[in-house]
Amino acid sequence: MELSKPWQIVRDLAAVIVTALFTFPIFWWALTSIKPSSAIFDKDRVVWFDFVPTWINYGVTLFGQSRSQIAIDSGIGMGVAGEAAYDSRRSIMESIVISVGATTITVIVAVLAAYALSRLRFRGRNAFLNWVLGQRFMPPIAILVPLVLMFKFAGMRDTDNYYMGLVGLMVLYSLINLPIALLLMKSFFDDVPKDVDEAAMIDGATRWQSFSKVVLPMVRGGVAASAVLVFIFSWTEFLLSLFLTTGIRTIPVKIQTFVTSTGNEWGFIAALGTAAALPSFIFILLVQRHLVRGLTLGSLKE
Amino acid sequence: MIVFGLFPLVWAIIESLYKRNAATRKLTFDPAYNWTKAFYDDRIWNAVYNTLIYTGVALFFQLVLGMLIALLLDSDRKGYGVLRALMTLPLVIPPAVTAMMFLMMLNGSFGVIAQGIIALGLLPENFSILGSSNTALAGVLLAEVWQWTPFMVLIMLAGLRSLPKEPFEAAAIDGATPVQAFFKLTLPMMSKVIAIAVLIRGIDLLRAFDYVKVMTDSGPGTATETLSSYAGRIYFGGNPDAPYAATIALITLIIVIVTSSIFMKACKVRL
Repeated sequence: MELSKPWQIVRDLAAVIVTALFTFPIFWWALTSIKPSSAIFDKDRVVWFDFVPTWINYGVTLFGQSRSQIAIDSGIGMGVAGEAAYDSRRSIMESIVISVGATTITVIVAVLAAYALSRLRFRGRNAFLNWVLGQRFMPPIAILVPLVLMFKFAGMRDTDNYYMGLVGLMVLYSLINLPIALLLMKSFFDDVPKDVDEAAMIDGATRWQSFSKVVLPMVRGGVAASAVLVFIFSWTEFLLSLFLTTGIRTIPVKIQTFVTSTGNEWGFIAALGTAAALPSFIFILLVQRHLVRGLTLGSLKE
Repeated sequence: MIVFGLFPLVWAIIESLYKRNAATRKLTFDPAYNWTKAFYDDRIWNAVYNTLIYTGVALFFQLVLGMLIALLLDSDRKGYGVLRALMTLPLVIPPAVTAMMFLMMLNGSFGVIAQGIIALGLLPENFSILGSSNTALAGVLLAEVWQWTPFMVLIMLAGLRSLPKEPFEAAAIDGATPVQAFFKLTLPMMSKVIAIAVLIRGIDLLRAFDYVKVMTDSGPGTATETLSSYAGRIYFGGNPDAPYAATIALITLIIVIVTSSIFMKACKVRL
């Protein structure tokens, strides 16, 4: 729609202001993450930019540095005891291992299954699809109770074996995200006309060859979008990780432990939170084109 | 996957048929016990009420704001692409982290949002938004609305971009105002997109857990207790009553299925 000049300026301004409002909290957290605690906890005023920036919060949470040493070095006072608890390097590794593992498993299984559901007719196909859709309605809290017992029975709790705990969460996240990835991939496969496979097979390709050499390259964008979504869902999952594991703490759970009886370490929370948001944001920008379809499980196409 | 999906459900149903003796921790088969207990449990009704209020208010704001912002950002002018990309930022932050950050910003003594509201004179000095039962739910909803409005914006933008141009040109020639064009053309043509967006968000909202758990832990008292957080409290609190927690979880599931089926029938959409 064409707007007259003054109205266009009003609209541009409004668009910028609204976006700024929605980006403000993120900006504020990033700002908090480089503030010294005196600026974070200032009760008399809101501290905007008049503070001495410090990397102390990143140093402690991401690199396992000692807060007291940095504090002494940069002359902003002493740290507190018990800071090893804020070293999140292990949590970050655990989150990466679990999310990357879950993403790999889910995408491989989803791509194969979605191709089969899209191309082959077999008994129970529709029942299976409805069942997959039905998974969306399940409140995570409902599957949690039986899951705890299942994990206990199978010896897959992290208290039984640390590595089994990692594998357990990895498998669990794969299973939870499988319906999403499956439906999304199916919607991409459905977009590729059947003639494409048939033409390839008439030319002498086997079903597997026509899938891997012809159809799969055509849905690359869909594979990327599914992978990013599964990664983000695994990366941000909170409820199951909170209750199922004790030793393994993914980032969203780890960050909760920064709330302590002696006060909340907002600087650390902001630093780890900002760092945790970064990979997801980069990934999501890469697949922006397919984002809407992904978030609506293939119901809406852009 | 079928086994994996079915097993917990069957387990939860069986579990809910047992009565747990709080003192002896023994389970006895008593199919009606938990369900009658739930019916007479005021806390469940409170949780149902909170869940529905939470879902309704959040959906309303996310839908209206999402639509308005999508209309605002739907432009091919230079720079709008960047604004749209920035708008997706909130979506990728772990909800548990978002909750923590809003906890900080809503802190009565040094939180930037709380200080802003207090400076406007709307709340008394050092007022704890999340600590007061009248405002706690609003505080939690603020985080929820902030994080998921961009989801609506994205979907609405996709819908707006897929609309045909001709009807709008014809309407403009006939002298229709933009407001008329919006209500007579845009809204009806977008109805399916809107319905799907509401359905997907609605299902998630009815299962609300993360924000409530982190920001208020259902409190103060039970002021922000939702069905999911109540079930979590029963199961992971002191002297956990697994059968009763399973019952509450099943009630949540029933509410989700019933409301979404009615919605899907009424709006003729499916996931």
